[in-house]
Amino acid sequence: MGKELGSERLGSFYTTGKVKRRREWRGVKDTLYDYTRWLHIMGILAKFIIKPRNIKAFFRYRWMSNYLAAPMMVDRHTQGLRGPQLRIAHTEFDLVMEDVAKLLDNLFRGDRRVGNNKKFSDKVVLMDENEMTAVMMGFPTLKGLSRETPAVYVSVLLNQYAACHYIDVAQEYGLSGDVCPMPEAEAGVSIDDDFPVLGACAIQCNTTCDGSLMGNSVISKRLELEDGVPCFQLAAPLRHREDDVQEYAAQEIRNCIQFIEEKTGEKWDWDYYFTCAKRVNESTRHRMEWLEMNKTDYPQVFGSNLALYTETNYMAICGKMQEFVEADRKISALAEQGYKNKTMAVKEYRHRAIIWGVQSHFYMDFLIWLQNCWGIVPLTDMLSMVSTKILSEDDKEQAIYDMAWLTENMIMRNRTHGGYKVLLDELWEFCEEFRADTVILWEHMSCKALDGMHGQFEEKAREKGIHLIWVSHDLFDPRVISRQEIRDQVNRYMRTVFREEPLDPTLEVISDEHSW
Amino acid sequence: MKDLKHLYYFEKLLEDANNELVRQAQSEGRKCVATVCENIPEPLLNLPGIFSVRLRAPRTGSMEMATYYMTSFLCEYTRAILERAIEGGYNFADCIITPDGCSMLNRCVENMELLKTMQKEHFFYQYMEIPMKADDNGLNLYTLQCRNHILTPLHGKFGIDTSDAAIRKAVEEHNRVCSLIRRIGEYRKEENPRITGYEYHIITMATYAAPKYLLLEKLEETLEELKTRKPDAKNPYRARVVLVGSEVDDVDVVRLMEECGAYVCADRFCYGSFPGRDTIELNEEEDALTQICRQYMYRGQCARYMNQDKIQDRRKYVDRLAKEYHADGIVYQQMKFCDPWAYERMLGTQILRDEYHYPVLSIDRPYAVGQSGQLRTRVQAFVESVEIKKIQGGVK
Repeated sequence: MGKELGSERLGSFYTTGKVKRRREWRGVKDTLYDYTRWLHIMGILAKFIIKPRNIKAFFRYRWMSNYLAAPMMVDRHTQGLRGPQLRIAHTEFDLVMEDVAKLLDNLFRGDRRVGNNKKFSDKVVLMDENEMTAVMMGFPTLKGLSRETPAVYVSVLLNQYAACHYIDVAQEYGLSGDVCPMPEAEAGVSIDDDFPVLGACAIQCNTTCDGSLMGNSVISKRLELEDGVPCFQLAAPLRHREDDVQEYAAQEIRNCIQFIEEKTGEKWDWDYYFTCAKRVNESTRHRMEWLEMNKTDYPQVFGSNLALYTETNYMAICGKMQEFVEADRKISALAEQGYKNKTMAVKEYRHRAIIWGVQSHFYMDFLIWLQNCWGIVPLTDMLSMVSTKILSEDDKEQAIYDMAWLTENMIMRNRTHGGYKVLLDELWEFCEEFRADTVILWEHMSCKALDGMHGQFEEKAREKGIHLIWVSHDLFDPRVISRQEIRDQVNRYMRTVFREEPLDPTLEVISDEHSW
Repeated sequence: MKDLKHLYYFEKLLEDANNELVRQAQSEGRKCVATVCENIPEPLLNLPGIFSVRLRAPRTGSMEMATYYMTSFLCEYTRAILERAIEGGYNFADCIITPDGCSMLNRCVENMELLKTMQKEHFFYQYMEIPMKADDNGLNLYTLQCRNHILTPLHGKFGIDTSDAAIRKAVEEHNRVCSLIRRIGEYRKEENPRITGYEYHIITMATYAAPKYLLLEKLEETLEELKTRKPDAKNPYRARVVLVGSEVDDVDVVRLMEECGAYVCADRFCYGSFPGRDTIELNEEEDALTQICRQYMYRGQCARYMNQDKIQDRRKYVDRLAKEYHADGIVYQQMKFCDPWAYERMLGTQILRDEYHYPVLSIDRPYAVGQSGQLRTRVQAFVESVEIKKIQGGVK
């Protein structure tokens, strides 16, 4: 026990219950820092729950109970970290937590069943969970809120079993059990009538896959036909790298903006848009800097923290909040410091890995397990390899195309659509750039776009001499493949192919079956 | 009922993707354009000098190679097609033009390309973006994509005449086939029909799987024959159903249902005649390409269309068919692992049952149903439930 990396046997903290045995000891300075951040998160929760309407919402919505696990979620993602990496992770996670708390607060403020603030609700535009919010970059007086994000997406990050009830609801209603559980769970929430009801209008989008596209029809059935919230379906082209789809994509953006203007009575504000575009550009530059650093022997901003933070910043925030730019600056400064001091996240880096495919949502902290248990450094992941295009900061016509480009290149979608080159060929290019010897390939079993390239991944990896470790899972449903079964797929490969012993043997088998 | 004169001929055509008429058309110097989805406007693939074939994998057995490349979670249609391609079963084709219709079909064709399954020297692949909403913007996209990914490559690679006049001629030929199919299908409205759903399915499928111009004569003869065909005195069917859903190119699906007493009076599925065999009406004021795309887009019943008007229209369309063809119930089917139809089947089933008050059977099925006992049991039970409702005089 101490400030040195790997001084704690991390597996020994696990019990067979929901929570861990005790907090990690990281040395005086880091433990104190970590404890103050834990207090900060408890403060966010307390500030949220003291509002009567939020207490009401807590008892109205089944999924709200998952938020009790928020502090533990951050703990899971900071396991074993020290120094700059610990601070980077907290900078990312604490801000994401604050943002989610604000999102929930706003949803319940306008919710017809809870806060019922009609004036506020009339300024709300509902967005899809997995949708780029670029079309909101020119509406400073409107709030683009996602209902799916807190109800399903974040809930599963907090509690691995959070979506199971809603998956079952959708299947009982007649949905096949073989579709992706993410849109399936979202559809389940809608069938269960468990979404807050608010908003002047909603923007749905054909996001990552056929399932997401089709799940929208379930949601819009209730939202538009029963709750009377008009929906616009924003159809982003699938073959997003082709020149001959860009005009279509741009026109969709124009139509979408016009729809929002009509339904809310607000006007598009170019000054605000370009302010947001500048922030997006600054965030992009920071992200590129982090990725460049990850190509060296001393990567600093990586793993599930990078993925979750990028997802929030790139897609949900999209330049609309200055706080994220400030967090980017802070992260870059910490990363610089860590890089100069040759700081590592674990005591030994044995393998440099690219994480590809769709990550198991109920086990996002798997990447930190990889590094702690086996010394596999997750240099970057598919969710983080999104557009690095610099947006125009003054050209209005180009701006429409930029928004279209961002919408086409949402996280995941930019790889699952657009032909095999973006999913298959670019992976090997990244392996070369990042000097990776291993690919951890998440095989989300219901993701048809990924499964459809299974054999090609295998053959090309063999051809290129890259270790390809398949990690199968069912995204939102740990009943199909549990966290331990996920770990076992790596354990087997490490022992039988690499013939290695774990850095921390207590992590090889963990009793977290019932854990949050 | 006496067998239709050409039924055996049509059945034989469907036993092989590279069938007798495909070979005949190629021997006449025509190029074969393969496709895998109903969202590609067929007349554009049947310009003078070319003909289209919608790929099927009849008599599918093992799909192990395709399962290795695409896992067992992709629908069996796409795996069967890829398997057949790997086996060399589509080497007769000169190109493949496919829309990014669903992820699985897209991956299927991409694997064909990556595995270099096609042997012809100048073989090419074209992937199209097709609209997901029916509106003006979608129409512009559709037209542009057809120009860039169908007409331009066909002209450039094979020297095909893609002029407006050539397109109009192709539409004319297309309409002749559609009109014959529709007129044959009209007999399904009869109380004691003189054509079975199975026979109709076979005849319709032949028009997707073989060069149309070579089928015209036999289709005309079949229509003539039907005019005087006498049905059996006693109607062997106990219920009339509209079959709705995803791709059905398996000859056994409709046969199995009819053996269970469910007469398939209307076919709203990929490879069915609704809306695939609607004629295309052209005027002289606007170019033919735009008109074709508009009609394909607005009439399309594909589950991937995501705007609310289209979503609502899909249920209304089924209701219209059920009324027009006097159906007692609806059968929603999807091929297992098909995402678009998994959702559409779920919603369609609930809505047609709760809001339109039809008895609805909801099933998922493999690509080749064979003599599936499970499916048979479900259809039989459905037929019985419809019969009981009729006896009890309940709603529909």
